[in-house]
Amino acid sequence: MGYYSHMEDRISRIVVVGGGSAGWLSAGVIAAEHRVDPEARQPFELLLIESPDVPTIGVGEGTWPSMRSTLQRIGLSETDFLRECDASFKQGTFFRNWHTGNGDTYSHPFTVPTDYADTNLAPHWLALADAPPFADAVTPQTALFADCLAPKQITTPEYAFVVNYAYHLDAGKFVELLRQHCTGKLGVKHIEANVSQVNAAGNGDIRSVTTDRAGEISGDLFIDCTGTKSLLLGEHFEIPFQSQQAYLFNDTALAAQVPYTEDDQAIQSCTHSTAQTAGWIWDIGLPTRRGTGHVYSSAHISEDEATGQLLAYIKEVAGDKAAASIAPRKIRYQPGHRREFWHRNCVAIGMSSGFIEPLEASALVMVELAAGMIADQLPPTRDVMDIVAERYNRKFLRHWQQIIEFLKLHYVLSARDDSPYWQDNRAASSIPEKLSEQLLLWRYRSPWHQDAEAVDDLFPIPSYQYILYGMGFRTEPRHTGSRRQELHQRHAAELFRKNAARAAQLQQALPGNRDLLNKVREFGFQKL
Amino acid sequence: MSQHEVLNSEKHRQLRVKTGYGAALGDAVMYAMTYPMEFRDIQSCYPILFTKDSNTGGFFAVAILGFEADQNLFLQDDRWDAAYVPALIQRQPFLIAKSGEGDARPPVVSIDLDHPRVSQDEGEALFDDGSEPSEFLKKKIALLDKLHRGLQHGSGFIDTLLQHELLEQIAFDIVFNDGSKKTLQGFYSIAEERLYQLKGDVLESLNQAGYLQPVFMAVASLSRVRDLIERRNRLQVSQAAG
Repeated sequence: MGYYSHMEDRISRIVVVGGGSAGWLSAGVIAAEHRVDPEARQPFELLLIESPDVPTIGVGEGTWPSMRSTLQRIGLSETDFLRECDASFKQGTFFRNWHTGNGDTYSHPFTVPTDYADTNLAPHWLALADAPPFADAVTPQTALFADCLAPKQITTPEYAFVVNYAYHLDAGKFVELLRQHCTGKLGVKHIEANVSQVNAAGNGDIRSVTTDRAGEISGDLFIDCTGTKSLLLGEHFEIPFQSQQAYLFNDTALAAQVPYTEDDQAIQSCTHSTAQTAGWIWDIGLPTRRGTGHVYSSAHISEDEATGQLLAYIKEVAGDKAAASIAPRKIRYQPGHRREFWHRNCVAIGMSSGFIEPLEASALVMVELAAGMIADQLPPTRDVMDIVAERYNRKFLRHWQQIIEFLKLHYVLSARDDSPYWQDNRAASSIPEKLSEQLLLWRYRSPWHQDAEAVDDLFPIPSYQYILYGMGFRTEPRHTGSRRQELHQRHAAELFRKNAARAAQLQQALPGNRDLLNKVREFGFQKL
Repeated sequence: MSQHEVLNSEKHRQLRVKTGYGAALGDAVMYAMTYPMEFRDIQSCYPILFTKDSNTGGFFAVAILGFEADQNLFLQDDRWDAAYVPALIQRQPFLIAKSGEGDARPPVVSIDLDHPRVSQDEGEALFDDGSEPSEFLKKKIALLDKLHRGLQHGSGFIDTLLQHELLEQIAFDIVFNDGSKKTLQGFYSIAEERLYQLKGDVLESLNQAGYLQPVFMAVASLSRVRDLIERRNRLQVSQAAG
């Protein structure tokens, strides 16, 4: 291949089809890594076509700690982000009624168990008589949940933490901020138009898209962020959708915004997830309101009944008056994902690639990972694109598989017997084979480093420990003992003691979420 | 902890203020706030660092007096062992307060009635028999006036440093002669490498604002850390001897 044909082969124009958090986050991450502004060294363009008529779906108000580095990567100040997006701090998830349904609770915090790299505390915790809940014993973070405390102080620099954290945010405002930043600072070209047609090139790639008010737009790489419509990957390339409903039954969400009863009401430090008879209710605290919703299986409960359970929950947490003014918005979805995500010169990110219930807030982190991999491994020419695409597909199939198994773990461990939903969730046919194997293994030894499959596993092994031992799973002690058992036990006892001391210390030192957010509004975080 | 009142010749006629130095007079502090116009005097005796206000997260400059809370290594019983005492120490127990809401109101002299220097029967009188300010109070008012002008001049200093990324975190790991170790955390200093890369127009703007000289004074002041360590080492010896 000669020099000139190589030049023509160069990837110099990326077209993102669709706005929303998937589109703008992808554009931001890629544009931050590859200069697309007019002063860039190489001519390189990033266009985003957004329909002025299609409203964004606005789900995904919970994030992972990875969002901190993503925001930092695209050059947003944390102070601006918190102020503009009505955002608050999220330190994990608090589960209620998942195990027995009789008021049981447990936590999945973002901080790994203390000394996790060198010590597996799970077997030592299992051996304790009168043990505190697992998460409370191994991390100081859960001690902050009850008092709605913040993960840092006003003196902590932006994006740095005292305890690990992510955010709850207003998805609509987040898109607005990203749009401003991408177009104003990063050189992304914003085209407001509807795509009416996808045009194929001679080799089977997408050559261009035809729009209603901006003509034909050509590109070298197309990123499909068109939501469940999956206009490019699904409709044009006909990449099949693989339903996962056999494992995860939920297919409907009723979302509702709930006002605070008082202006200065405490803001929760974590997502609250409360199990119902055929699904669960999320409850996240933003500075100005709570976002709640009921995710359920339409095969197991009627919409009326599901609405009734959501309203009953809102009454319980926010009072009769709040519940009376609620008109939930219904979202139907098919749980599952496309068979592949990157096909020829088109990669789908966000709901166009797949969607699953927001039980562990995996939607936005998948967008971050996808955009990050594209930014890091952007094929410079068309002839290497297929190699990157194949790696991408392998990696993201693995991520989807792990999400499905990890979410299913929450259902399999439940002892609830009060509805067919929970019974069906434990039917052997509804449990992925790998998960069944893991559960069998973990009856005899607790999960630790040896269970990690890859360095970039979406859910790290501590997350499995938090769910397993939060939901009453028992791992039998080793029969053979260990020569150094006593030494290990002494070390573990010391770690438990230190953890409790650290928890007490943090409870004193950290401000309430609302106090800190008010200070951020007034003073902002320092950059160092 | 503190009770501020605008100074009034009727109301505070009987008050007296204890002079001199001592831990009992509130001088046992690890650092004293300072401001750019004072840096030249400060750097002759103390290291100048920056730290954060725990309430706002905002930076302010400090003269370092010790290595831990309540430790002032310049305080030797009733003597302050340095050629220059920071203005924020000298002014105690007086302060400047705004006379009302809004920035336009003139500042007024106030007093912290809960400060250990304030007394009913000991120290210097504030007013003479004719309700006029005493010579002592006049000197303090002149000091407060100077302090006020210094703070106003320095009000844009921190933002300027941050704008040019001239602050960086500094960690002191100090081993004293007795083998004990101390890590000084939560302090920041001038980022020297960045300072030496500043271009002409930035240097000119810093100079015009009166901030260039203080920046170099702060850099020079770091050589006072050695003296501070020596003081701490001597403290150990005298304690052991005592």
